[in-house]
Amino acid sequence: MARMKFLCDAERCIECNGCVTACKQEHEVPWGVNRRRVVTINDGVPGERSISVACMHCSDAPCMAVCPVDCFYKTEEGVVLHDKDLCIGCGYCFYACPFGAPQFPQAGAFGLRGKMDKCTFCAGGPEKDHSEDEWRKYGRNRLAEGKLPACAEMCSTKALLGGDGDIVADIYRNRVLKRGRGAEVWGWSSAYGAPQGGAKPAAPAPAPAKS
Amino acid sequence: MDVHTMTRRWLALLAALFLGVLGSQALAQAAPAGQQTFDSVLNPNAAEQAKRQQQQPGNNAPVWREVRSEKEHYTSTRGVEAGVLIQSGGETWRQRRENQLIPMGALVIAGALGACVLFYLWRGTMRLREKPTGRRMLRFSGFERTMHWTVAISFSILALSGLVMLFGKLVLLPIIGHTLFAWLTVACKTIHNFVGPVFSVAVVVLFFTFVRDNLPSIRDVQWFAKAGGLFSDVHVPSGRFNGGEKVWFWVGVLGLGVTASVSGLILDFPNFGQGRATMQLANVVHVVATVLMMAMAAGHIYMGTAGVEGAYDAMRTGYVDESWAKEHHEYWYEEHKREAVAAPAAGPAGAIPAGAPQAKEKTA
Repeated sequence: MARMKFLCDAERCIECNGCVTACKQEHEVPWGVNRRRVVTINDGVPGERSISVACMHCSDAPCMAVCPVDCFYKTEEGVVLHDKDLCIGCGYCFYACPFGAPQFPQAGAFGLRGKMDKCTFCAGGPEKDHSEDEWRKYGRNRLAEGKLPACAEMCSTKALLGGDGDIVADIYRNRVLKRGRGAEVWGWSSAYGAPQGGAKPAAPAPAPAKS
Repeated sequence: MDVHTMTRRWLALLAALFLGVLGSQALAQAAPAGQQTFDSVLNPNAAEQAKRQQQQPGNNAPVWREVRSEKEHYTSTRGVEAGVLIQSGGETWRQRRENQLIPMGALVIAGALGACVLFYLWRGTMRLREKPTGRRMLRFSGFERTMHWTVAISFSILALSGLVMLFGKLVLLPIIGHTLFAWLTVACKTIHNFVGPVFSVAVVVLFFTFVRDNLPSIRDVQWFAKAGGLFSDVHVPSGRFNGGEKVWFWVGVLGLGVTASVSGLILDFPNFGQGRATMQLANVVHVVATVLMMAMAAGHIYMGTAGVEGAYDAMRTGYVDESWAKEHHEYWYEEHKREAVAAPAAGPAGAIPAGAPQAKEKTA
């Protein structure tokens, strides 16, 4: 089975925020929560780069490890999902996540955290596929429809790739070979560097380009 | 040519471009005013990046260094640290929590409970040597008892709910299952978050309530030299509070109590924009302080209940028997023995009945 991964090509991202908008629209994400965001390094300076980031669906996910109620689970495709019925809103996954993916809607005064919300790789949650409950809690389940994440599908420059990690790596490898430079695969060593939870090895990282 | 010189030279070039003096690096180098403008506009990394862009297009090392710097960059998304792409402190915190705090915390708490049990098996309850006189002394005023129990009850609630959140996943979850455990834990979290501030305030009031009689004195040296008579049958006189109680007061109540309160409040109120690094640190400090406090509290609760006869009644009713005062706090007894009063409703053996009768009578 394919191992789903995200990849953002910093040479292509133009900071249009189309992925952010696509995500918000696709899942009707609540106000104050952003499952995806675009960050620009040294904005306005020659050589600036933008990167779109959301949950990377890590192989050895820190959120899963620290959750005190064990509400996370990993699908066969390597997508890290969580059960909002179990989530207690403690914020530990947010402390642990390298990418700042877990988001918390305000549930009361003094910043009281509601149930955590994060990118699902458009794969819904533990509820029955396409059920009303799944839609309400996690948004659309595009994977179950045979589609890829809305953010990557929407990306106008194809900077953001989401799908089978092997195919994504192949596409990126070809780009790097064509360019002859720029082999930085942002976030991959953090997200996919560790062995897969459950001893299954992660897909090999793309070969470094020879410059 | 070192990096610094290169930076300056390149900045000078930028300055030249900016001033419209194209193509003359030598000329630009003689324009320190423009160079200064760029020093103030660009941070060192941005300057490095812009330089690299011209010298080695495609080599984006400064950008990737900046990504790993965990600094905030521009994003149109709002939120605390939304501009930080990647933080590595989370993994450190995870390792610390999963591999150090949880196993070591379990060891410390189990060790403290085990020590209490072993001590009880060895010494049993320390009973009064002399018969109670039936004359009672006021040891804790109503206010003091109210403060003690406010802290004690809130502490117990916080400790139990905290233990569920720290160890429940390993201990309770496999037994009661995900659904029930999630219900229990969300209740624990909510109670913990609301009782926490009560404890924080109460512990400060408690400190001022008892600080006068907990000031260290030369008599404590004597108490420590004889280990308070814990391991022998020697009689060790002490003031209103003995050396052990003073250690609990200063280290446990003040040191650990305030540390736990401050770190807890940082975690309890995420609405003040504190970042993840702050909360990771606060969480580690909170767990360390509270685990140590629970271990010390185990000893305190043991001595106040099963360990010493009459100690629990002192904090429950406020009164102790003269004999008890003399045997456990002789200096305090000497100072206050004139204030002893006859027990109004003495039990069969002249002992103080615990509970209601004392609560109703007027206190001295």
